[in-house]
Amino acid sequence: MPKHIASGLKFLAAVKLKEKGKSQQYIADELNMDRSTVSHYLNGRNLSGNSIDVAKTITELLPKDFLLMAQSLFQETEQCRKIVNICKEKQYKGNVEETCIGCGLCVNMCFMNAIELESLKAQIDSDYCCGCELCKEECPTNSIEILEI
Amino acid sequence: MIKNVKDVKGKDFKITRSAEEIRELSFKNHICIGCGICESTCPVGAIDLNAVAIDSRRRINVYFSGHEKIAQNLISDADIQKINDNEEKCVLCGMCSGVCPVGALQLTIDGVPISEMSQYPHYTSYSNIDDDECIYCERCEIACPRDAITIERELPIRKNLVTGEIFVDDDECIYCGICQEMCPASAITVNPNTGEESIVIDKDKCVYCLICKRTCPTKAIKAMCRSCSYGEYDLDPLDATVSGNSIIDDDICVYCGWCQGVCPTGAATASKPFEGNIEIDQEKCQACGACVDICPCNALAFPVSTEAGQRLDHMAVKKEYCISCGACAQSCPNSAITVTRSDVNMTPTKSATWIDAINAIKRVIE
Repeated sequence: MPKHIASGLKFLAAVKLKEKGKSQQYIADELNMDRSTVSHYLNGRNLSGNSIDVAKTITELLPKDFLLMAQSLFQETEQCRKIVNICKEKQYKGNVEETCIGCGLCVNMCFMNAIELESLKAQIDSDYCCGCELCKEECPTNSIEILEI
Repeated sequence: MIKNVKDVKGKDFKITRSAEEIRELSFKNHICIGCGICESTCPVGAIDLNAVAIDSRRRINVYFSGHEKIAQNLISDADIQKINDNEEKCVLCGMCSGVCPVGALQLTIDGVPISEMSQYPHYTSYSNIDDDECIYCERCEIACPRDAITIERELPIRKNLVTGEIFVDDDECIYCGICQEMCPASAITVNPNTGEESIVIDKDKCVYCLICKRTCPTKAIKAMCRSCSYGEYDLDPLDATVSGNSIIDDDICVYCGWCQGVCPTGAATASKPFEGNIEIDQEKCQACGACVDICPCNALAFPVSTEAGQRLDHMAVKKEYCISCGACAQSCPNSAITVTRSDVNMTPTKSATWIDAINAIKRVIE
């Protein structure tokens, strides 16, 4: 079953990428799939509707729960990162207050590699932030705020 | 979840966080001067400065029974664990490492110390001995309160013995002891210890060989060789030159400036981490000497006493060698010392929190 749900997430990702006008070849490379499988997916074949429903439900969970589910469904980190980034329901942006001490704990915590230290202050990249708020939970000075865009 | 790992070796420790990057905070107890700046700066309250003041009554008793040296050695660095770091709380931000004026705490990120990264602020204090100017007289080595200086001196080969006349110009003598070491007749006695310098030439033993004169770095010894030169006192030294190496151990140097203060040629230079002032309240001071123990730069001393048991009013301060670390003020059992840090000599940073932390170092310590 987990594999079916993972495939369901890949299906959702493929559809989203298609909506953005990406080619089937690009989608296949990005999601590490055969081009023919992508073609089947996009034409509604070879995947049970139930798997897609479950996958859809997962993406609609709280961002942190979605991330944890995705992490357990995909063994490969880079793949998981891509799926989460493509399938996330909303866009997020992170505000870092001046109280940031530059300890780098958030950088280490962020599964999405969305945070960098710049001049001893954390900078959160909206393109990669998945809204899980793990960084906010760990921040020793409560300097991070994650907002939906 | 990312966990810190603490590795304790004796009184030193290391805290490591291994993730995408490896952060490692190391603490070296023998370098720590107990100033407590890390404790007040740590944004998560992970550092505790352990009590470093000693039983002052015991010290007073020993002091007034006349054993000053023993009193000074009552407690040594080795006896004190100066700080503790709670590895659960520590987030390895490196602020303690950044503000430590002597580098006892050091954070490395992937093996690179933050003192070498431009985005982190660091002290501009330094100490240096210019090899071109250094005459290897060893005055700085004797004066250095941290034993951070090593002078390796190579003396020229002695000449044959001759006879003549000799005297020392006390104004020019720097009591380096080179003449004593070179004298083939053991006629010269030099006391190079700071504060009690003296030179004595035993004319009964002197064989007027001129070796002392030739090797004297400041030409303080005036001598005449009977066998080769009558009348003229101030002969140039011939080929007698002293060579050597001067080394400062940057790890334990506290940039107090003793070496600069005692250097006769201006070869030694030092710049302090802080600007500030130290005052001792004569009313409150009991001359217990707790401050002498903790002072990393021998800026505080027992006033010179003539008789054992004589009551002294207050400690003597050499302000020019004080680095305003504030360790004495915190260890004083009578709150008699006030240290005012007015400025911090650090490179700039863009981080607002770090700027605040550095500004907070400028304060009055009582």
